[in-house]
Amino acid sequence: MTRGEIKDVILEIIADIDEDADMDGLNPDEPLRDQLDLDSMDFLDIVMELRKRYKLQIPEADYPELATLTSCINYLEPKLKAL
Amino acid sequence: MADYSLIIIGGGLSGLAAGIRFARFGGSVLILEKHAIPGGLNSYYFRKGFLLETGLHAMTNFAEPGDKRAPLNRLFRQLKFSRHDFITHEQFSSLIHFPAGNTLRFSNDFSLLQEEIASRFPAEIDGFNSLLAVVNGYDPFTPKAWISTRVMLARFLHDPLLIDMILLPLMVYGNSEEHDMDFPQFVIMFRSIYQEGFFRPDGTMKDFLALLVDKFTSYGGEIRYNSQVQSIGITDQQASHVKLAGGEAISCDAVISTVGAPGTFAMLSLNPQEEKYAGRMTFVESIYILPRQAKKEVKSDHTIIFYCLSDQLQYCQPVKPVDTSWGVICFPENFQGLPTSENFQIRITHAANYDLWKKASPLEYTAMKQEWGAKSREMSAKIIGNYEQNIVYEDSFTPITIERYTAKARGAVYGSPVKIKDGRTPCSNVFIAGTDQGFLGIVGSMLSGVSIVNQHILTEN
Repeated sequence: MTRGEIKDVILEIIADIDEDADMDGLNPDEPLRDQLDLDSMDFLDIVMELRKRYKLQIPEADYPELATLTSCINYLEPKLKAL
Repeated sequence: MADYSLIIIGGGLSGLAAGIRFARFGGSVLILEKHAIPGGLNSYYFRKGFLLETGLHAMTNFAEPGDKRAPLNRLFRQLKFSRHDFITHEQFSSLIHFPAGNTLRFSNDFSLLQEEIASRFPAEIDGFNSLLAVVNGYDPFTPKAWISTRVMLARFLHDPLLIDMILLPLMVYGNSEEHDMDFPQFVIMFRSIYQEGFFRPDGTMKDFLALLVDKFTSYGGEIRYNSQVQSIGITDQQASHVKLAGGEAISCDAVISTVGAPGTFAMLSLNPQEEKYAGRMTFVESIYILPRQAKKEVKSDHTIIFYCLSDQLQYCQPVKPVDTSWGVICFPENFQGLPTSENFQIRITHAANYDLWKKASPLEYTAMKQEWGAKSREMSAKIIGNYEQNIVYEDSFTPITIERYTAKARGAVYGSPVKIKDGRTPCSNVFIAGTDQGFLGIVGSMLSGVSIVNQHILTEN
């Protein structure tokens, strides 16, 4: 998967989790949680969706890597490159 | 490989929510419900063509769609329900009714309660607003030692009458302790009742439960009714299977039990510790059906009336079978935008004494129901006027009924005063969700099921 495709996957997952998510004007380098007003329970959904879709096991210690859109892409790029 | 990754004991609201949450991400899960229909405490039954609802009078935690941090909307996201598709009916208003004409009204607009306190207890409004600031800034979810709500309230309010008036709805809708409550629990209840408020979903409790069961099965979850769990089987100190009353064994990797701490411990062949984990607050409830024309004869402009006709609120197990000196009068039709029906209901709830109901012979039990029903009608008529002559159907239930249908030891609807907040049991893959885990009410118990799955099941694998 390319960085662009990974970005689309993340945005799609967020839209799926939160019907009220406002993606316009999302700053890729600011924390997703603050911008979208998501809590830790929603955040777990992103992790679980990635696991369900790509069999990706993301250990709890790595959750901070998923803080912003850019850091998500950086973290996932090597893990999803074969797909 | 085990038959199921997860077995959930109990198809009430916490069990269904836990099931949806786990099935949503592809986990194999079986819910075992001992009765023929789901719901547990919050269920329904049919009598003479009427659908009668049991359990809560209203859902708490009202929130408009779009308010992302509100517990109701967080719950909907977790279960992947669209909040925008879910039609709600808010309460009209509710009333706290104490002796000597002391009343307070409240609604889903919090400012009404503030105005009522300012006009009836002018010396207390500043203290009330200071208390409000504490409530707004408080984190009730971080575990800490027990804090007396009455001691906390006395720092801000001086009139014992006002303190009892504020406490009555919060206690009767979710306090498992007698006389006092843990302050974090007070904060949760204050928010969910006064700041968020009462509503009911469109349709009946039957429809709401069907929505949950459909969601659960659409994700591949399975539910079996008439399936009472006898015991949880242990292999190498881990739960490996559950055994049904008929003898069938079903293997699993983990168990979530929603039958309360004493019931769960008994299934694990541990000491049920009823003296520690069985609550003392239980209730009797009567449901009356009256023709719509009779509604103008009773004072029925509120959704729920919380009354106390003695000078001091005695929130405790009564020494008599029932304490009619305080109680709750609910008009289930009094929510905004409901279609008019031919009949209307009155539901009346009082604290009761489990032991006295338990030890009664069948004959005594029937006589007690009649005697205390009559006393309840007489007392409630002082508040809403006479309605007895117009009753077309009535039914009532007691702590014994509650115990039988909800698996809550001693019929204690709010479970044990000692909460197991992390849901852990002595067995490392068996967890408790629901009332004895800590959250109360429909929204609270569902969040309990969700959070136990999040904390212990999803993040484990």
